Amino acid sequence: MDDPSQTARRVVIGFGDAANLPEDDDLPTESMPLNMGPSHPAMHGTVRMVLEVEGEKIRSADVQVGYLHRCFEKEAENATWTQIFPYTDRLNYVSPMLNNVGYALAVEKLLDIDKKIPERAQFIRVIVGEISRITDHLTCLAASAMELAAFTVFFYLMKAREWLWELLEELSGARLTHSYVRIGGVVADLTDDFCPKLRDILRRCRASIDDVNKMLTSNRIFRDRMDGIGIITRDDALAWGLTGPVGRSTGLDYDVRKDHPYLVYDRFDFDVPVGSKGDNFDRYAVRLEEMRQSMRILEQAIDLLPAGPVLIDDARVALPPKREVYNTIESMIAHFKLIMDGIVVPPGEIYSFTEGGNGELGFYIVSNGTGQPWKCRVRPPCFANLAVLNKLLPGLFIADLVPTFGMINMIGGECDR
Amino acid sequence: MAGDMPVPAGARANVKMVIDGQAYEFPAGLTILEACQRVGIKVPFFCWHPGLSAPAVCRQCLVEIKGFPKPIPSCYTAVADKMEVITNSERVLDVRRQMLEFTLLNHPIDCPICDKAGECMLQKHYFDWDARAARNDGSKVGKAKVVDVGRHIVLDQERCILCTRCIRVCNEVARQQDLVMAFRGDRQLLTTAPGRRLDNPYSLNTVDVCPVGALTAKDFRFSMRAWELWATPSVCPGCATGCNIEIQAARNVVRRLIPRLNPAVNKYWMCDDGRRTYKPLHENRLAAPMIAGAATSWGAALTEAARLLDQARDKSPATLGVVLSAQMTNEDLFAFSRLATECLRTDRVYLVGAPDGWCDDILVSADKNPNTTGAKLIGGPTLRTAADLKRDLEGGVVTALLLVGEAVGPLDSLQTLVAVTAHQDPPVAAAQVALPLAMWAEVDGSFTNRQGKVQRLYAALAPAGQSRPGWETAVRLARALGAAWTYGEAKQVFGEVCAKVTLMSRADWGKPEMPVQLRFANSRG
Repeated sequence: MDDPSQTARRVVIGFGDAANLPEDDDLPTESMPLNMGPSHPAMHGTVRMVLEVEGEKIRSADVQVGYLHRCFEKEAENATWTQIFPYTDRLNYVSPMLNNVGYALAVEKLLDIDKKIPERAQFIRVIVGEISRITDHLTCLAASAMELAAFTVFFYLMKAREWLWELLEELSGARLTHSYVRIGGVVADLTDDFCPKLRDILRRCRASIDDVNKMLTSNRIFRDRMDGIGIITRDDALAWGLTGPVGRSTGLDYDVRKDHPYLVYDRFDFDVPVGSKGDNFDRYAVRLEEMRQSMRILEQAIDLLPAGPVLIDDARVALPPKREVYNTIESMIAHFKLIMDGIVVPPGEIYSFTEGGNGELGFYIVSNGTGQPWKCRVRPPCFANLAVLNKLLPGLFIADLVPTFGMINMIGGECDR
Repeated sequence: MAGDMPVPAGARANVKMVIDGQAYEFPAGLTILEACQRVGIKVPFFCWHPGLSAPAVCRQCLVEIKGFPKPIPSCYTAVADKMEVITNSERVLDVRRQMLEFTLLNHPIDCPICDKAGECMLQKHYFDWDARAARNDGSKVGKAKVVDVGRHIVLDQERCILCTRCIRVCNEVARQQDLVMAFRGDRQLLTTAPGRRLDNPYSLNTVDVCPVGALTAKDFRFSMRAWELWATPSVCPGCATGCNIEIQAARNVVRRLIPRLNPAVNKYWMCDDGRRTYKPLHENRLAAPMIAGAATSWGAALTEAARLLDQARDKSPATLGVVLSAQMTNEDLFAFSRLATECLRTDRVYLVGAPDGWCDDILVSADKNPNTTGAKLIGGPTLRTAADLKRDLEGGVVTALLLVGEAVGPLDSLQTLVAVTAHQDPPVAAAQVALPLAMWAEVDGSFTNRQGKVQRLYAALAPAGQSRPGWETAVRLARALGAAWTYGEAKQVFGEVCAKVTLMSRADWGKPEMPVQLRFANSRG
């Protein structure tokens, strides 16, 4: 048995001598758990990451979602089909219009009226959707740049986002939670000077994006933080079901707008940018380019915008004009039934998917023939995208976590529903 | 409904016919409309009602029959061999729409203020079969909005679509000609017959059958939107007939009682008196257990009640009586009977109840208690009567009483009185201990009607205040008196009743029923 005093004397704190260092260059340390979130400024929504770190290195990561769960799917079962729109606004809350459109398309397919939506309404849906896609990407890039200390970029991009949201506010009455789309079309026509305003905003936005491009793309500090960090291979992207800019950054050429065109996307000339390395920088670059492509679509859509109604002419689906409601019993009844009982959707099920801000936004809806869905399941793109983070983080530095997480662009409202 | 029953293969005297290209076989004598309902083909109607004759005035059920030049009302035409019926051709749908357009032409724009909105057949048919915008922008023919036609009912002549259902209810159910149509064309209106008012004992059935909001019940109108109500099946406690009803309640308050189809008991109807039986549910309820007039906890009250009863039993079981009521459910009656014989060891069990009243040969019984049959079956031949109780109280034969029913005779001579009661009635003041009792709409239970049918009650409301079902109070009293009873729910008590009472041996507790919100019950209109 050793003499206890002798044992105590042999304890060495740290490594007293360089010769004692192991072969490995790293300073060996004890691993320790580190909680990031759920209430952490870099955890955008509310997500918790339980990391096992050794020094600055992440050994393993456990990404825990659900802190922003609001029972979207259960709430939807207790609302009429129309009352669900405000809930969809709160899914991906930086691109609410895209959720509105995605949900409306699903219900319209179930109602078998998807081919009867007025053309102008379809164009308007494309326009508001693409504006939302731009605001989605602007938010993502702005926040991520700021987290890398590029505060100027944050202001440049947020300013551009605000121009677009002001325009949507003018259109829908709400800056963020628009609830502008309806089953059968949209609630109201574009405001009178919407198109010229949009053209002007696009011009200014393009300038902002160019400025940001100049500030970041060849910026040594920014590139060092983004290049080669968080690499996802194309095979992994397929295996994990990654879509949207995250999937495309790996070279996976999948965009619902191109591969399964809906609304009138097949009439526009636009490109789908893809990355080659699947790292953070590619995700940044894909988003930057996608905004430019969205602007191309918007400009074409404004030019081609047809005249006509913006809501389907079907009293069983769309609310009649107020003048009719107050003055004729027919429209009064239709209004009453649509509000109190809801649109009667024939029994059946549908999976309908669109290109959301973060990728494939799917709605799987089951109707039992009443005014409410029996089931309304969402495939939130960033839920699948976020799942890959557990695999991505080990081996990175803690500091790399922030841009990597930022470029995945997890939106709590959508991910947790 | 009978319309949902499958067609039995090889039934007697069948006719072979074709509806919408599909061959069917029906028993002779059926109308085309009934035939369509049996096989699930939807044909709209306003004036037809399964419990009434068919005058074919609304022309909503028109169908085409091959070989007939004009569309034919299906509610009025019997099925026949080799008949070919088309219910959904463009022509049929078009004539129905045109008839509906006539109906809507002068219909007031009242949905927001109309009590029928949400359960209105006009709304439903317009939405299901028409859903087209108005083509007429002219002014509507005005009629009287508020006509006080009877004790319980207000008529809005503008809303009336002239289907005559209410007239037929009066003529065929109540057998009194109270209502008639007057004038013609767009000035035609529903009114009371000369010198009469809509005061027959079944008048409120006219409100139920009214497809629109023309006839509204004074009791219900403007009190609650129909679609906010939750419906629970139950049985009317008004008399021994036991009409099947639906309790329609919202936020723990009953708003109306509606008859529920039972071909063997009440068909589609119930009497006006029965509709008011929900009133005592919300009036003057005893909310908490009382000891000597002061509110207390259940635990303290039960201990005190058990002590008093124990004392009375030990002193002289022959002077200890238990009073049961024919208003109680089978479960309550059984539990308290068992308490009397097993725990209190007395055979002095009295059956009281509401006094007899008026009756007719339609639905109303003279016996105003819903469960006299059940009480007599459970109590057996030794049951004493209300007259016995009165005599025994006056004679001082009974000195201690567990009172679960109505008080008969003077209570002031009693040394011990434990009252289990739903209301703040005189016995509460006289009782040393009063325990609050849940009423028929607040419990799961059963009544046995005058025909011997055991019919289920379902709890539509939470019990008022701290009141508890009677059987549960009996169980707790029994435990306080040292018995080891284990009933945990009414169903167990019911099972034991069925096992003990031969005539109830085949009674069935049935399936659980949840309240259904009328809003999403697919607009019953």
